[in-house]
Amino acid sequence: MAAKQLRSERTAEWLTRAVLVGLAALWMIPLVWIVTMSFKPNDVLMMSTAGLLPIPFTLKNFNDIFFVSMTPRWLFNSTVVALGTTALTLVVASLAGYAFARLDFPFKRTLFIVVLAGLMVPEQALVIPLHSVITSWDMHNTHFALMAPRVALPVGVFLMTQFFKAVPKELEEAAALDNASRFTIFRRIMLPLSIPALVTLGIYTFLHSWNDFFWPLVSATNTNMYTITVGLASLQGNFAQTEGLGFIMATAVFASLPIVVVYLIFQKYLVRGVALSTGK
Amino acid sequence: MLKKSILSLLLSGALVAPGAAIAQTKTEISFLRFFGGCADEYANVTDLDKAVGECGVIQVLTNKFNAENKDGIKVNTQNVDWNAYYDLLSTKLASNEAPDVAVMHRSTLPNFVARDLIEPIGEDLSKAGVDLNDFAKTAREAVTYENKTWGLPFDIHALLWHVNVDIMKEAGLVDASGAPIIPKNAQEVFEQAKIVKEKTGKRYMSMDARNDAMPVRVFNMLMWQQGADVFSAETGKPTINTPEGKKALDFIQKVYKDGLAVPTHGNGESSQSFLRGEAAVAVNGTWAVNNFSNQAASGKAGFKTYAVADFPPIFGKATWSDSHMWVMPKKNRTPEQKAAAITFLKYLNDNGISWAKTGHLPVRTSVLQSDVFAKLPFRSSYAQTAQMARAVPMVQNQRPAQDAMRDSFGAALLTDKSTGDALAEAQSKVERLFRRVR
Repeated sequence: MAAKQLRSERTAEWLTRAVLVGLAALWMIPLVWIVTMSFKPNDVLMMSTAGLLPIPFTLKNFNDIFFVSMTPRWLFNSTVVALGTTALTLVVASLAGYAFARLDFPFKRTLFIVVLAGLMVPEQALVIPLHSVITSWDMHNTHFALMAPRVALPVGVFLMTQFFKAVPKELEEAAALDNASRFTIFRRIMLPLSIPALVTLGIYTFLHSWNDFFWPLVSATNTNMYTITVGLASLQGNFAQTEGLGFIMATAVFASLPIVVVYLIFQKYLVRGVALSTGK
Repeated sequence: MLKKSILSLLLSGALVAPGAAIAQTKTEISFLRFFGGCADEYANVTDLDKAVGECGVIQVLTNKFNAENKDGIKVNTQNVDWNAYYDLLSTKLASNEAPDVAVMHRSTLPNFVARDLIEPIGEDLSKAGVDLNDFAKTAREAVTYENKTWGLPFDIHALLWHVNVDIMKEAGLVDASGAPIIPKNAQEVFEQAKIVKEKTGKRYMSMDARNDAMPVRVFNMLMWQQGADVFSAETGKPTINTPEGKKALDFIQKVYKDGLAVPTHGNGESSQSFLRGEAAVAVNGTWAVNNFSNQAASGKAGFKTYAVADFPPIFGKATWSDSHMWVMPKKNRTPEQKAAAITFLKYLNDNGISWAKTGHLPVRTSVLQSDVFAKLPFRSSYAQTAQMARAVPMVQNQRPAQDAMRDSFGAALLTDKSTGDALAEAQSKVERLFRRVR
């Protein structure tokens, strides 16, 4: 009886695994396809893009990216902007989140509603006024202009507020009994606890900032200030989708590599963050 | 101590002075364009025979100018991808960083003129020795708006009839010399399609139904072929939902619904399909001539013999076209910079024949009629195109109007939407857009 139960449990487990592997493979197919195309010659892709194996194989598309003398500079710009935005966002969001969760100050509710309202404003609606403001400061083509508009991220403040609200008050009260100041409580107790949430927010912000195309396009308008997204796009000839498909795919793979690496390093924190938020 | 600091000051001044003197003899002008980035690939290349493709030709021309001009002018190129070009140009203009020379399409010129963002340069070009009367009529019209000349025409790019001669031969649709028979009206298009299907089993046509607004270009062309127009330049109103419009859209819809072309094909897919040898004819532009002919000649394509012709007179003689031109955005530039920009423009004009290597049509009549041009492969087979090229009238908001039409027409090609509904929808959308012009 027990053996039979064990067997059916294991069958169910294998079945679930098989389904999940199948689904994962299905989701991976487009990614594999893009990588395959990035290793195929442009003229072969002009005839057909079918096939998941990179035959005939070529490194020319990637070579063409590295051959461009501006690529390191564009990578540098993207890295500075993405890392800078992430660091600043984490600082601002965690401080604001703690304030909204634990401190009492006038107009707290109104301010929180205003922050939430920011979640509903699409980025595109802000581009023109933002551009005018930065023009009046004469600060286009700087890393500052690329970072600053992204730092006050409503979703970041919201995430951290909700996280801090869920932390039991007893932890802070215990620290307060030991004469710990507000800031010490924040720094020594709350921040370490919030690492999973911070990592989640950090990855989200980094990804968003790294992938950003439109704002760098209109603010960083000089070639040496292009981010990697705008820079690699600017290399495309007019008929890239017919005659340069391999190159486009290679730029997509190349530009996404840092994100994949970041995700692979931090993924266990992400999982922990999700697990924490579901209370398991 | 004081002696030392004065000495170091003098020394640093002495170091800077010759440097400053050298810097002053070079007038630098900024050059904004699309066409791709290949500065590294063509670094220091000044031999035009080595230039391949749009990027290659314009980069080598720029390199050559920088190396050979005697006026101490240095052109600094900035390239942007085609799709994002006007966004970047507009923001550069908004943040007071206007380039000295920029590329522009005929279809976007009115918007920039209406916002007072570019300078009229007709007189300057004439004074520099550019013969404005040498330009073909369409080219001249491309840069003229409100009675002024706003740019230097560089090319006319138009729709052509690209042919897979192997299929046409197999279907028996070639003449005694082996050249493909070009349909003379709408009826013959469908007749040829039937013959091709019966004799070879292949599709007749490869035509992009979604990207680059190809259905809209074909629609516009079919309107002009009937003697009508899509917009009225005088009233500023669209004339899309008209009997001519219905005839045009019905033709396009029939092409897709009867299986002559595939309605889910975009630009990439339709080119791929043609190159694989799946269709007898491709509706594509002058820009595809080199690519198609090279692929056919290389033996890697699905067919060996390529031909190209002026677009058939489905309803009359006209073909869709647009133009690239060079403009001078408004900026507080020095007289030296302005003169330098005009000098560079004259240079580009004098070397227009090199640009013809890309498949685009040159704009100067003297070049169009030259031996050099005639010797370029395939060009003589579409020599008439320059004369029958038409373009949308000079109205603002052409691009948004084109997008609106593309979306409405697309529904008629992919779903059960009737052409009448699609035309009515397009008409009202464009009327709304045109109410927003300055």
